[in-house]
Amino acid sequence: MPLIVLDALTKRYPGGVIALDGLTLDLEPGIIGLVGANGAGKSTLLKILLGLLPPTSGRASVMDRDVVSQGIEIRQFVGYMPEYDCLPPDLSATDFVSHMARMSGLPGGAARERTAEVLRHVGLYEERYRAMGGYSTGMKQRVKLAQALVHDPRLLLLDEPTNGLDPSGRDEMLALVKRTGTEFGMAVIVASHLLGEIERVSDFLVAIDAGRLLRAAPLTEFTERTGILAVEVEEGGDRLHDALVRRGVAATMDGRIVLVPLDDERPYDVVRDEIVTLDLSLVRLEQRRKGLEDLFRDEVPA
Amino acid sequence: MSQAGVSGPGGNIYDLGYQSYDGPRLGRRSATGALFRSALLACFGIGRGGRAKIVPIVLGVLVVLPAVLAIGISALAAQAPGSGGDALENASPVRFATYHGLIVILVMLFAAAQGPELFGRDQRYGVLPLYFSRVLTRIDYALAKTAGLWVALLLLILVPQALLLGGRIFVAPDPVTGVGKEIASVPLFVAQGLLTAGLLGSLTALVASYTPRRAYATAIVIAIFIIPPIIVALVGNLVGDDAARILVLLSPGDVLDGTNAWIYGTIPDGPVVASLALPGLVYLAAALVGIVGATGLTIRRYLTIRA
Repeated sequence: MPLIVLDALTKRYPGGVIALDGLTLDLEPGIIGLVGANGAGKSTLLKILLGLLPPTSGRASVMDRDVVSQGIEIRQFVGYMPEYDCLPPDLSATDFVSHMARMSGLPGGAARERTAEVLRHVGLYEERYRAMGGYSTGMKQRVKLAQALVHDPRLLLLDEPTNGLDPSGRDEMLALVKRTGTEFGMAVIVASHLLGEIERVSDFLVAIDAGRLLRAAPLTEFTERTGILAVEVEEGGDRLHDALVRRGVAATMDGRIVLVPLDDERPYDVVRDEIVTLDLSLVRLEQRRKGLEDLFRDEVPA
Repeated sequence: MSQAGVSGPGGNIYDLGYQSYDGPRLGRRSATGALFRSALLACFGIGRGGRAKIVPIVLGVLVVLPAVLAIGISALAAQAPGSGGDALENASPVRFATYHGLIVILVMLFAAAQGPELFGRDQRYGVLPLYFSRVLTRIDYALAKTAGLWVALLLLILVPQALLLGGRIFVAPDPVTGVGKEIASVPLFVAQGLLTAGLLGSLTALVASYTPRRAYATAIVIAIFIIPPIIVALVGNLVGDDAARILVLLSPGDVLDGTNAWIYGTIPDGPVVASLALPGLVYLAAALVGIVGATGLTIRRYLTIRA
């Protein structure tokens, strides 16, 4: 049974802005990356899955429950980390997260125990008793993640979890997200406009643009090998290029790097022979992978 | 699950990894109840910083003060010889019928001070999406918060009058006749308390839910209580009593004055309300319409707010 089923899901805001345009998709559990530029419809999709927003037309179901008619049942087992600030500054992380656990229907004692547990997991220790107004952005993001985890959801929806974090904060948050998906056994949907980040944590990718589905596939398919061999030599890349062209290989230059089309295994031998003949120092020889950026470059008209 | 252990002389520390939760999930009703309790406690500054407790403590002391004075007067009256005691007792300005008039401004100030924080902070700090992505509905949220304010105001009104009741029974020559004499007042002050807490609480909730900025909301709540009686008096003088009779029903302070006079069978405190001589049931109807209408609009606010 798919975790999430979208059937011609459309959301039109008052004023005519179309945030989602006939999205049809089945998603299996895992760490799912939801990528798209700002305004592509990522946040709208998450809010519809939570029942925070009604779809204009089409249907969506989560864990086999309809988002419009069975929203409460869904929300019992879904955790949501919104994109923007959502923490009252005068409360401590402990008080806030435990209050939110109660709001998910957990009994008082269990709420306190779970709060201690999840705050430890997101890496908040002594500071959890201090008012959140004095927290750094990194600590606030951790509390936001903790309140989404506190009722032990089966599905976690994270909207731009690395928003506003410095590079080391990003690394830590991404590691935490990855651990949540693998070690905690939860299904996770991470929405982000940063392809590089999504690439690091997800195993399935959904790319949307202007509310339409660009592509949904396992990450490996997105980054599959291309038929291009990249050759980097210390000096004399241009001489190598010329020599390859003379031997009938359609090589091109990309800065200092010589690109060789790979239709079969033959170019490997030619490249090796020419490097030896020209007495060049080989730095790198690799088959290029398609980056996620290429996907958007290829399929989204600028 | 990882089971990395750290051994030391005092014992072993185990990282048990992530523990899933298999306990009960009590759902929507439990969540709504917990929100109601936290709203009620927040009205009295419980679970907040020290500064949040100043207003509830000061106003709490002030509403109890008349009851303490009255019990003192009753105690003196009980000891005075002959009919002097009765005269003293009857001259006391603090009775159940007058208690509403004595404390209603304090109750309104309490609502104006505590209500805006109760409703405004979740909007100001963007917490609403976290509530609405959980098991309670938008209506549950609005009603739990409003009910928390209602009950806080009701306690503020009823606790001093319960003290007054206890004191009067205690100082009566014998407690049995004391109970017999005083117990009839209980349904009266409970009824007036319910109307006052209901109307002030609902109006404050309505204003605060539409006005996230705390200072503005406080000012508007105070204005809703202070300004209409002035307008009613002016219209009564300049236009005539018929116009004033309609307008007075839009003035929450005057409406509650009217219900109090009707419940106790006394003359309203406000001279204008007294001179208009409307039937008491009209004030009761106005109060009920106010409570239902304001609560309905508060719910509407939360149904339509973007989160």
